Amino acid sequence: MDLTYYFQTLLNGILAGCVYALFAMGLTLIYGVLNFVNFAHGELIMWGAYFLLLLMGEPFGLSLPAAIPPALALTGGLGLAMDTVVFRPIRRANRLTLLIAAMGLSVLLRNAAQFFWGAEVRTYGLEIMPGTPFFGVYLTMPQFAIVIVTVLCVAGVYLLFFKSRLGKSMRALSDNLDLARISGIDTKRAILAAWVISAVLAAIGGILLALDTNLSPEMGIINLIKAFAATLIGGVGNLWGALLGGLLIGLAENIGVLFISPGYKDAIAFVIMVLILLARPYVIAGERSD
Amino acid sequence: MRKIALGFAVAAALLFGFTPALHAQDTYKIGAAFALSGSIAVYGEGFKKCIDLAVEEINARGGVKGKKIEIVYEDNKSNAKDCVTAVRKLITVDKVPVIFGPAGSSNFMATAPVAQESKVVLLSAQGAAVGLTKAGDYIFRVFPSDALQGPHLAKLAMNRGFKKVPVMYINNDWGLGLKNAFVDAYKKMGGTVTDIIAYDEKKTDYRTELLRAGKGNPPAIVNLTYINEGAVQFKQAFEMGIKTQWLCGSAARAPKMVELAGKAAEGVMGTYPSVPQNTKTFQAFKEAYKKKYGDDKIPIFGDYNYDMVYVTARAIERGGYSAEGIRKALPAAAKGYRGVTGDKTFDEERSPKFAEYAIWTVKDGKIVDYKLPEKAQEKKKPAKK
Repeated sequence: MDLTYYFQTLLNGILAGCVYALFAMGLTLIYGVLNFVNFAHGELIMWGAYFLLLLMGEPFGLSLPAAIPPALALTGGLGLAMDTVVFRPIRRANRLTLLIAAMGLSVLLRNAAQFFWGAEVRTYGLEIMPGTPFFGVYLTMPQFAIVIVTVLCVAGVYLLFFKSRLGKSMRALSDNLDLARISGIDTKRAILAAWVISAVLAAIGGILLALDTNLSPEMGIINLIKAFAATLIGGVGNLWGALLGGLLIGLAENIGVLFISPGYKDAIAFVIMVLILLARPYVIAGERSD
Repeated sequence: MRKIALGFAVAAALLFGFTPALHAQDTYKIGAAFALSGSIAVYGEGFKKCIDLAVEEINARGGVKGKKIEIVYEDNKSNAKDCVTAVRKLITVDKVPVIFGPAGSSNFMATAPVAQESKVVLLSAQGAAVGLTKAGDYIFRVFPSDALQGPHLAKLAMNRGFKKVPVMYINNDWGLGLKNAFVDAYKKMGGTVTDIIAYDEKKTDYRTELLRAGKGNPPAIVNLTYINEGAVQFKQAFEMGIKTQWLCGSAARAPKMVELAGKAAEGVMGTYPSVPQNTKTFQAFKEAYKKKYGDDKIPIFGDYNYDMVYVTARAIERGGYSAEGIRKALPAAAKGYRGVTGDKTFDEERSPKFAEYAIWTVKDGKIVDYKLPEKAQEKKKPAKK
């Protein structure tokens, strides 16, 4: 078996991992700041991709580059709306309430997309291009974009989180909400910023995924569970962990396919997730706040 | 307490007591749990037209044993839950001994155990899944099972000179059934299956599965896929530079697949059950349809629905108007009967024993029929006619 076969598998794993990492970063950000798992994050992914479809179609008819900024803005707005309408009124409720609210919201948003666009699979209608071979490994433009954009996003989030006042206040919030508030940090602003960043990251990931593959109302929920596994592996609330977790899951499931039946591809991610949960059950139960 | 007991008694009397009086009826009622509203209502409407046509013809010739046939339509709202409700209603309220079941293999399979338990005959005119009739001996279908499609796909592969292929299939009842049927037949014909790759529905990334299937650049890959999954796979294979002849089943044969996959779908090929339209019976059916409805656009599967009525009427004629009688008479009634869609003889799994298959391919963005070269065409015909 020639080496390019393994290189291509490795590349497939990295591509899948990049997308998972983008989803996981947004998920982990909300967890870090608000201390709950936003199960409606998958719907931000899906709506991001569908907002782009909306703007590229009638009556807007924008080109792809022109449609991306407003699509990201709309998804950011959706993130804010989610917080304002659903999560803010129950900010101090227990985790189970938040979890169930998030799940309900997920179903609502998914069905709304199905109502407007139907359950069928769609594409942006762009011309399919054969990949360009690099040393025997094929890479298409959307795939190239996935790698570049993920690197840029990670760098951007890093700068924002560790080099800006806003990032500092978000980290303070993540450590202790009450203490942050008493210290005079504008917690409201920090929470809203976290929602916008989380939603925009989801939209970027969703659009990249849709460009590379297709759009369907279920594209979010299918990938969310992988992103969730990635955040668990990396340690919830940890941005670097989310990136590493995403790449690890992407690589593990793609390399695994070479040795076991691809029918068990999803099982690989879930086995990893279950093992992590067994080792660190407090992540869901919330007995520890680290 | 006494009041409650009385209430129960009255309810019981209403439910069971009065209905036997209605048994002295002057028509033979057949139930039909059809999609008359909901997502696939457009199909249900077409089935109904063809069923009504057959019933009209039979009644015009004096009906069955001097009695007219009457179809009791019940809307199944295109979803599995209401399909079950519709079938239950037909069984308990209308008390029909035979029901034409809902379209869609999953919807039909949801209602099959209900009919089987109630000992009522249930027929399908559209279901292709291999295990469709497995609920029991009261479940029949006049549409060919994919178990028959497997050998035809194997013949297509052999005729095109593909003696070694990897097989990919969608991991559900339909995919698994067709995969097994194909692999068995292909091996018997001397073919070698190099790899078997199952994959899940509704995924967006099939690259590594495709990479594994494309290992060693096989000249052909068998892929038993659906519309959406197929579109994603052909697209990703195209981007990955996998150049191969795709061989598929009937489920990917849809304009939607070509629309989604674009030029990556070009040249994809597969088998599908076809009804030869040049036969006398088909032409007569087409004429009658045109006379009644004013156009000759036969609805999809309408021909199978038309045959289902005739087969059922023949069974009532032989076995009498009871579920048990119809069940026992159906195999004999259908044996050798040549309907619009061909020979309707049942096999031991209560599915059509014979079916004709044609080959589809994507050419210039359209799905067209593909003709094998002359000599190969000869071999393609089913042995027994």
